[in-house]
Amino acid sequence: MELALPEVDDGKCEGCGDCVRLCPGHAVALIAGKAVIVLPENCDYCADCEAFCPSSAIRCPFEIVMGDGAGEDS
Amino acid sequence: MPAQTDFLRPLPYFSALSDADMQRVERVALERSFERGEILFLEGEPCAGLYALKSGLVRVFKSSPEGREQVLLVARPGDTFNDIPVFDGGPNPASAAALELSTVVIIPRDAILSLVDACPPAAAIVRLFAARLRRMTTLISDLSFRSVLSRLAKVLLEAAAADGGTPAQRLTQEEMAAMVGTVRDVIGRALRLLEREGAIKMQRQKIVVVNAKKLRDMV
Ligand code: SF4
Ligand code: SF4
Repeated sequence: MELALPEVDDGKCEGCGDCVRLCPGHAVALIAGKAVIVLPENCDYCADCEAFCPSSAIRCPFEIVMGDGAGEDS
Repeated sequence: MPAQTDFLRPLPYFSALSDADMQRVERVALERSFERGEILFLEGEPCAGLYALKSGLVRVFKSSPEGREQVLLVARPGDTFNDIPVFDGGPNPASAAALELSTVVIIPRDAILSLVDACPPAAAIVRLFAARLRRMTTLISDLSFRSVLSRLAKVLLEAAAADGGTPAQRLTQEEMAAMVGTVRDVIGRALRLLEREGAIKMQRQKIVVVNAKKLRDMV
């Protein structure tokens, strides 16, 4: 499966670079003034970038699913 | 000491000061730098003064006796913080730590108070407001973590139950916070706790409900 990555909304990204500075894995860079996850393997989906982006331009959504056998009376 | 007027003057706190008052404030202002992770001040300690962030990023937070942290503010350059104890005379209501190399200007309490000295009614009103704000701050951090857990458990159960045929629901921590009526930071802690309890498993971009009964018991 492809590595899920934070989703950057180019329309909202102001290119302030906060996510670049704050990403613990140094996975983000600015390209043409917009945030890009340039080192996907360094991104551990901690969602810090989402928390700190002042423009709400980054989203780290989680899929919420029922595990096998999680069901009724496990 | 570097001149602070250019930095301080535009801040809402100081924009209305006379030049003479501005100079008085500037004379006693202290500039300090903190490394990433360093503590600027601790909750419960006597107040050093009003902090104005010149550069960097600072987290202002309260800690509960169980060690939970509630972020009250992420201060950015130009933000001021720790004003409650300056005006009500109590201890620091929260702690502050640098999220990256940060430079602050600290204006001692006396210098700030002297600005309202000339008008005792205004000083009394500000003191009253500060005391009210302190109580509100405490109230916010006391809001039960339990009730957050219970509402989050419900959101997760409903979202996971919807999965089956339909594409799985995708929610950011921010969206979960909005649904639960809390802030994102608390959702992060609540998710970690649910994982420790064995109710869910965080798998990168997935939250897998591994024990629905545990979640249901919390609702
Ligand atoms: S923090 Fe947000 S606005 Fe700033 S560069 Fe990153 S995505 Fe863009
Ligand atoms: S989710 Fe975390 S590791 Fe990934 S890009 Fe954002 S801050 Fe960096």
